[in-house]
Amino acid sequence: MELFLQTLIGGLLIGGLYAIIGIGMTLIMGVLGIINLAHGQIMMVGMYLAWLFWMAFGLDPYLSLFLAVPLVFLLGIFLSKYLLYPLIEKDSILPENQVLMTVGIGMVLVELARFIFSSDYRSVKTSYSDKTIMLGNISLSWPLVIAFVIAILLTLGLFWLLIKTDLGRSIRATAQDRDAATLMGISSKRITILTYGIGSGLVGAAGILLLPIYYLFPDVGPIFTVKAFVITILGGLGSPIGAIAGGIVLGIAETFGATYISMGYRDAVGLVIFLLVLVFLPGGLKQIFKI
Amino acid sequence: MKFTKILIGLIAVGLMFSLNSCGKKETGPIKIGVLLPLTGHQANFGTMEKNSYELAKEEINAKGGINGRKLEFVYEDDTGKPDVGRSAAEKLINVDKVPMIAGGYSSSVTFAAAAVAQQYRTPFLVNTGSVDKITQPEDFNLTVNDGDKFYIYRMNPPVSEYASGLESLLSEVVKPKSVYIIHENTAFGTKGAKSFAKTAKKLGIEVLGQQQYSAGTVDFKPLLLNAKKANPDMVYMISYVMDAALLMKQAREINFTTPKLYVGAGAGFTMPAFKENAGKASDHVVSATLWHQTLPIKGAKEYYDNYVKKYGGDGPDYHGAEAYSAAYVVADVLTRCKGDYSKETIKKALDNTDMMTVFGPVKFVSYGKKIHQNKMKTYVVQWINGELKLVWPKNLANAKFEYPIDWKKVWAE
Repeated sequence: MELFLQTLIGGLLIGGLYAIIGIGMTLIMGVLGIINLAHGQIMMVGMYLAWLFWMAFGLDPYLSLFLAVPLVFLLGIFLSKYLLYPLIEKDSILPENQVLMTVGIGMVLVELARFIFSSDYRSVKTSYSDKTIMLGNISLSWPLVIAFVIAILLTLGLFWLLIKTDLGRSIRATAQDRDAATLMGISSKRITILTYGIGSGLVGAAGILLLPIYYLFPDVGPIFTVKAFVITILGGLGSPIGAIAGGIVLGIAETFGATYISMGYRDAVGLVIFLLVLVFLPGGLKQIFKI
Repeated sequence: MKFTKILIGLIAVGLMFSLNSCGKKETGPIKIGVLLPLTGHQANFGTMEKNSYELAKEEINAKGGINGRKLEFVYEDDTGKPDVGRSAAEKLINVDKVPMIAGGYSSSVTFAAAAVAQQYRTPFLVNTGSVDKITQPEDFNLTVNDGDKFYIYRMNPPVSEYASGLESLLSEVVKPKSVYIIHENTAFGTKGAKSFAKTAKKLGIEVLGQQQYSAGTVDFKPLLLNAKKANPDMVYMISYVMDAALLMKQAREINFTTPKLYVGAGAGFTMPAFKENAGKASDHVVSATLWHQTLPIKGAKEYYDNYVKKYGGDGPDYHGAEAYSAAYVVADVLTRCKGDYSKETIKKALDNTDMMTVFGPVKFVSYGKKIHQNKMKTYVVQWINGELKLVWPKNLANAKFEYPIDWKKVWAE
């Protein structure tokens, strides 16, 4: 029972992080209509920024959220404005080729990071990095709990943005029907660029939340690009609620697989679920929630 | 008449060409290929090895190079993936036209590249790739008697022998009754775990469980909790560097204080990055190793110091020493080729290698199913107060083996 609870809670906490990684990708998917294969790499940039602030000024990673996330947001804006949007604008360029552009962006980011920071592994050591909370016999990693709480706050903030604000409504409208939205007077260019920025900022934040418990090196991204991709498909393309459900399902499934089957099949468990969803629920979890 | 003229002309042209190729003495550098993971998950190791190759190259060239010519290494990045390793080896052989390849870090990549080297009959001096089959001709459709057709040579011991130095420590000092094995699900990890399970059986240690994981895992707690439930006397781990750091960090987080000993099987556990990233959780962890800078080997300490002077940081572990020595083996082999740097001559010279390096003596011998395998001892190191100390065998140790270990105290803030 203890092992079961520990596994469940561990999975849930990781799932919370997966969720915000996934939401960023699903937003981009919804509005730009492409899978952002540079997602994990953008996360890596966020992690390096937080690490830099920590190295240089001793800034706590959670505080550097306020500094690093806006920078990653600006990076996203830059990438989408000058690299992605020009491709989206042209009908003759197929969406597949826009996806290739994100692959290229990812590669450049990784090699730039390698050039600047070398391939060394980095990690941020804070006073609470190794702290655990014991609930009975269940140990919870303190940074993971904080990360989970911040992830929830970020998600709530995002939903407030999407539901209550003009910008959010424009984003949802563009995701639903780009042409109709344009006809209603929404600048689809501005929305496209902003959405990529927001998606980047979110995944950057996820990276920073992960930093105290994980480690950092230039190639850290691809693992999470794949995770984000799986979550996006699990949740249903373009659905933020689906991405949250997808992230948590993936987190819990992986952890249970790791505990009760074998750790070696951790990724396999995620991918099997991915296949099952594709076969039996092609629209993803959003088919269940209808959002 | 006309015909004779043409004939004479042709002969003249032919002569010119042949004279040209005979008379022109090659003076450019001798290029040798080096296959390493310079990007990707294992880049940390690859970079250390590349630095060591470069360090050795500079020293060799400063001393006059190879028979008056300079030595040059052509690096090719295998990114830690077998398929990329294959094409990288093909590029080295077919495009760069190197007569010999060195390097080879991860087991899976090295084995894939070895198949290419074997196919093109190009000598391949492996310095780290450690899965047993790399020097077993039967895995290349040859027999142990086909030494003249087998182009793979290996400096480091195979993974099944990594723990040999550890055996006596376990049987004489620690005497554990049970072990829990945690390993990465790669060729290196799986084979290492298998052979350690065999060793454990031989020593009368019960294997309570054997669990694998895939590299880059964030949360090792499910695995560690299973291990904790089994309550072993000893935990044996085969991991690359950051997985190793996370394993120890999270073992500390879940208060897994019952094992007498945490043992790593080399690879990640001896790297400076392990200590840096695991912090306190790395303390008192024991690991098998192939080399330590304080071993009584001529040049070992100098190499270590020169490396630190040139590249800074915490200095190399056995991976660097392997690479540095491999460069010297390459230089020695080429020097003995006496100007004929063809693949066959190099292979013959490799067969006759018998030299001393900072990594220990290097000589390629046959035993069991293996041929062209360098035989060597392995040692045991322990992290004591943030420094990697050689603790076993006793007569070579530079620090006392810290044992028994009270993990609660060691891990306390």
